[in-house]
Amino acid sequence: MTISPDQIVLWQWGWLHINATLAYTWLIMLLLTLGSWLVTRRLSTGPEISRWQNLLEVVVTGLRDQIRDVSRQEPGPYLPFVGTLFVFIATSNLLTIVPWYLPPTGSLSTTTALALCVLTAVPLYGVLKRGAVGYLRHYVQPTPLMLPFNLIGELSRTVALAVRLYGNIMSGTVIVGILISLTPFLFPIVMQLLGLLTGMIQAYIFAVLAMVYIASASSAHRQSDEGLGSRGEENGSD
Amino acid sequence: MQIDWLTVAAQIVNFLVLVWLLKHFLYGPVTRAMARREERIAERVQSAREREEAAERERERLHERMDHLEDRRDAVLEQAREEADGEKQRLLEEARADVDDKREQWRQQLRDEQDAFLKQLRRQTAEGFAALARKALSDLADVRLEDRMFDTLDKQLAGLDDDERQQFRNARELVVSTSFALEDDRRGRLRDLIQQHLGDGTKPDFEQDKALVCGIALTADGRRLAWSLADYLDGFERKLTAHLDQRQRESADTESETDTDTERGKEAATS
Repeated sequence: MTISPDQIVLWQWGWLHINATLAYTWLIMLLLTLGSWLVTRRLSTGPEISRWQNLLEVVVTGLRDQIRDVSRQEPGPYLPFVGTLFVFIATSNLLTIVPWYLPPTGSLSTTTALALCVLTAVPLYGVLKRGAVGYLRHYVQPTPLMLPFNLIGELSRTVALAVRLYGNIMSGTVIVGILISLTPFLFPIVMQLLGLLTGMIQAYIFAVLAMVYIASASSAHRQSDEGLGSRGEENGSD
Repeated sequence: MQIDWLTVAAQIVNFLVLVWLLKHFLYGPVTRAMARREERIAERVQSAREREEAAERERERLHERMDHLEDRRDAVLEQAREEADGEKQRLLEEARADVDDKREQWRQQLRDEQDAFLKQLRRQTAEGFAALARKALSDLADVRLEDRMFDTLDKQLAGLDDDERQQFRNARELVVSTSFALEDDRRGRLRDLIQQHLGDGTKPDFEQDKALVCGIALTADGRRLAWSLADYLDGFERKLTAHLDQRQRESADTESETDTDTERGKEAATS
């Protein structure tokens, strides 16, 4: 039984190979890009809008609202990254209803790649927001003794992100595969429906957690900055 | 749990490409479109607000104008009412004056007619009565009545004092008028009578005068001695006329009182 689409190699040339994960990823990218382009090339700014534009606007507005709720900041800078996380994972998971489709998110390589992106994005947004010193300072807060724990926490939550998504999606695929061999009728469909729900929830969890990490980093900096500032003012007044 | 690091690297690239693609084809256009729509909605709301304000201003302006017009209309109506009242009063007074004139004319005409009628009546009555008396007395005027007239003249002449008698005597013309024709013997007897009182020199002329009705008169230079039924008739006529005039005045007074009452009634009805 195939556990990961990584193992399905479609093309190979030396050490370079293209597996099902990459192929399905490109398919998803093509779908999303083509769909977006088809809809957004004729956008209406009036009160009358098409159904597809309405759908995209609902999705984008929902993402912006979620980002705003979680980060309590303007969603503009975070939307492409966090939104793409959600849209890609959700699409990848929803397409599991298509026969012979294997979700790229069921591959630990894909989820690791996404988690690495988050791992990179968190300090990147922090540095962009508050500067390198401002960002790095929070690793030694409240005391420099916390530095190793902070670093371990940073890594472990990245691993957790990758494994959580991979485990959920892979297990869904595996369960359906096992159930098809045991009870080929009806029951796999129920599990597959459950898998759709799980897939959507995982997409939401992944995106929101990424946003939480990014936002907590920048807001922690802000809080510490504000704390330092107020303290400085107090000293100055003394 | 197997990680293919080549796939990981490829997926990182894929994800970044997808981020760029979606930013370019999805988030950007949709966000811009929504922002533009919001702008347009805001513009519309703004323009609607401006229109509403303009409409409100226009409404207030029209309201003020309407108030002004209503005030003016009330004033014009009041003025028209006053003018109409004045005109009505004027017309009423004119009509009243007209009616008064007409009534006065009618009353005058009535009075004139009444006067004329009374005058005519008086005249006809007097004439009728005189004619009746004249006829009766003419019928009665026989010799004895003439003798009685002569006796009366005799008494009057006898009653004259000296001055008067002298004036009669000195008169250039002495005329004896009788209402009846005198025969010669009576004329002679009358001449004797006069000469007996005034002297023999007197030569009276004789003439018949129907105006005396029934009587005799001696006229000398404006002096006159007479007895005539015409005098009685004239006196009677005077009394009759005076009586009729009095009755007329009384009736006129009663009528004017009735008119005054009627006018009071009219004024009460008008007010």
